[in-house]
Amino acid sequence: MIIPPEVKKKPFEYIFLALFFIIGICFYLFAGLSSSNRRFVVIILGAGYFFWSLYHHYHRGDLSLSIIVEYLVFILFGIVLFSGTFF
Amino acid sequence: MKYFWKHWFLPLEKNNHRSALLRTNTLLILIAFYLFNHSLIKFISVIKPGILGYSSEITVQKVIDQTNQKRQELGLTLLKYNSLLSESATKKAQDMFANNYWAHTSPKGTTPWDFIKSVNYKYSAAGENLARDFYDTDSLMKAWMNSPTHRDNIVNSKYQEIGIGVVNGVLGGIKTTLVVQHFGTPLVAIASDTKKVINSNQNEEVTLPDEVIKSDILNNEGVISLPQTPEVLSQEKNLINPLLLNKIISITLFILIITVLFIDGFVTLKNNHLRLTGSNIGHIGFLLVILLLIITSQQGAIF
Repeated sequence: MIIPPEVKKKPFEYIFLALFFIIGICFYLFAGLSSSNRRFVVIILGAGYFFWSLYHHYHRGDLSLSIIVEYLVFILFGIVLFSGTFF
Repeated sequence: MKYFWKHWFLPLEKNNHRSALLRTNTLLILIAFYLFNHSLIKFISVIKPGILGYSSEITVQKVIDQTNQKRQELGLTLLKYNSLLSESATKKAQDMFANNYWAHTSPKGTTPWDFIKSVNYKYSAAGENLARDFYDTDSLMKAWMNSPTHRDNIVNSKYQEIGIGVVNGVLGGIKTTLVVQHFGTPLVAIASDTKKVINSNQNEEVTLPDEVIKSDILNNEGVISLPQTPEVLSQEKNLINPLLLNKIISITLFILIITVLFIDGFVTLKNNHLRLTGSNIGHIGFLLVILLLIITSQQGAIF
């Protein structure tokens, strides 16, 4: 199995991100939430991913405006498509 | 032509070692494209409700069978079909289409109990479950059973009879199928049961009127479901379901971006290029999570 160098360098950051996503999925699927609360969970997942990216790139020393914008656009992409599918 | 595809899908020197599809401006264009499509579908649904619509395979008999199956699994008595409850459920569904609302109580203040009373069904307890936009009975029943309040109605030992309404119509500009489930316990049943108790236990003090009044009050605090005639009310087939169309477009875009992220990450790793971009692994993880949630989420809604 190929493990990318960036994961090898900071394994705990990626493990933390994976755990965050797994908890989010479990909460979304099994908490019996209403549709509006489900959308809220997806927004929380996006916000959590954004803060993770700030921490991750700050510690890597390459935090820049272009990277912040990239993360924001990917998160926007995910949330807009999710919301458009169900609302 | 070959370069065109490489430019969009592979990290090259000419595209600054980043697949053109993953650039922020391209992603923003894709978001705009999706929103345009989404608005177009909604617009068409409103101006031409017959073009985009729903094709439900839900039948009254299937809903009753599966409801009783759930009750049987829990050792509860099976619900008997009642035509009056079916009539009230159908009336409720028709009223939601006529007055364009999706709720237990209509904007005019008509409650589920009013519909049940309007068909002269005298009840001691009643309940209502609502659902819309489901393709089939299995997913509908799954959604109701996953919701504690709807499940409580389905497996409530108080209820003895059931009526289902499955009606097609246009709600909020979208052609859809509404399913209304009405549960009830006839007042006569309680009265006769209590009389039996009085007859068999002459020494016990049982007050029939008090019990009936109590049940009736409890009933009015509950939630009701509409009944309907046992035939399949909707066999009308529509060409496109707008909700499904939206889902297909979303899933396609997700798969496209995730695939390009994989290719981009793999080629960059192979060529050992250094570049100032976000984490492909993080992006893939985030998009996979959202994709999973979209795929596993139910299409319909319950109330």
